[in-house]
Amino acid sequence: MPDWKQIVRKNLCVLKACSPEFADKIAEELASHLEDSYEEHLRSGLPEEGALQRILNEIELCRWNWLALRLLKEERMTGFTRKVGLPGLLAFASAMAMEWVLAIAHMHPKTIFLSNGLFLSLPITWMCLLPICGALGAIVSRRNGGSLLDRMIAAAFPAEIASAVLFVVFIVGWVISQFVADSGWNWAFVLPALGLWQTGSALLPAIPLLLGGAAADAANRALARAA
Amino acid sequence: MASVSAQIKRGSAELAVLTLLSERPLHGYEIAKQIEVQTGGVLRFDMASLYPMLYRFERKAWVKAEWQILPNGRRRRCYRLTSLGRKQLAPLRAQWRAFFTALQNVTGFQNA
Repeated sequence: MPDWKQIVRKNLCVLKACSPEFADKIAEELASHLEDSYEEHLRSGLPEEGALQRILNEIELCRWNWLALRLLKEERMTGFTRKVGLPGLLAFASAMAMEWVLAIAHMHPKTIFLSNGLFLSLPITWMCLLPICGALGAIVSRRNGGSLLDRMIAAAFPAEIASAVLFVVFIVGWVISQFVADSGWNWAFVLPALGLWQTGSALLPAIPLLLGGAAADAANRALARAA
Repeated sequence: MASVSAQIKRGSAELAVLTLLSERPLHGYEIAKQIEVQTGGVLRFDMASLYPMLYRFERKAWVKAEWQILPNGRRRRCYRLTSLGRKQLAPLRAQWRAFFTALQNVTGFQNA
């Protein structure tokens, strides 16, 4: 008899991105379903080979991609606060605290002036400390049963919040300029400014956050293997 | 027998599964099998449609799942309807009853 669990895992590669507990549960339950179906075919009088062929046909016809998408959605929605929200907020709070301490210590972001009045603000010292915040988010997410995707989302949470806030500010600013102030925007200036703002506040900080999260994750795995 | 459209199947799936579970706790394969047998094969669940729905019910606390160990050591998850699930079932039944009655009035079918 084939290893049903292995067949399920082979067809549902998405399980690798889920938390180990969720992946194990799905693999065992779907494997059990296949085995039940196989036993039913045997009881109905089919020979072993015939029953096996029926199940292999069912496996081939199964909408694995659809199943993978639905399972991933369920996993995301199950315990999102515990696995992503709280660890992410912890990473965000620690990043904000560090920025505040650096501001008190007069360690301000480095500003690079570009042409046409554009500039890029680079908080280099803060970014050097961000791997700690990313690691914190990833560790807490892992402790709460978060999958690899959850851990990375939690690690990069401060950058995600910064990016979202910038977009909201941009949209609110545009609405005010269009409908309240009735003055059009100079898009040739606004769009590059938004891009530079996003780069300095969200995209570049996301790199050390993810690096911190990945390093903490690798260390955790190494410790688990050693234990 | 004429096959019913995918949309009607999806809409009726929740009602069918919750109704079966209101009678007794069942595991996934049993649910799929019973629905297939009781509907004469009109409604048929494959793994891709059944399990995500069961996990959704579990997330909403409409059902509670527990592992059962079989004599051969294999484990199976058994689903049981919760009181919250029972509360969901009553209005769902009423909605479908109203829907079928309305359809019957329009089409004149005795068994819509």
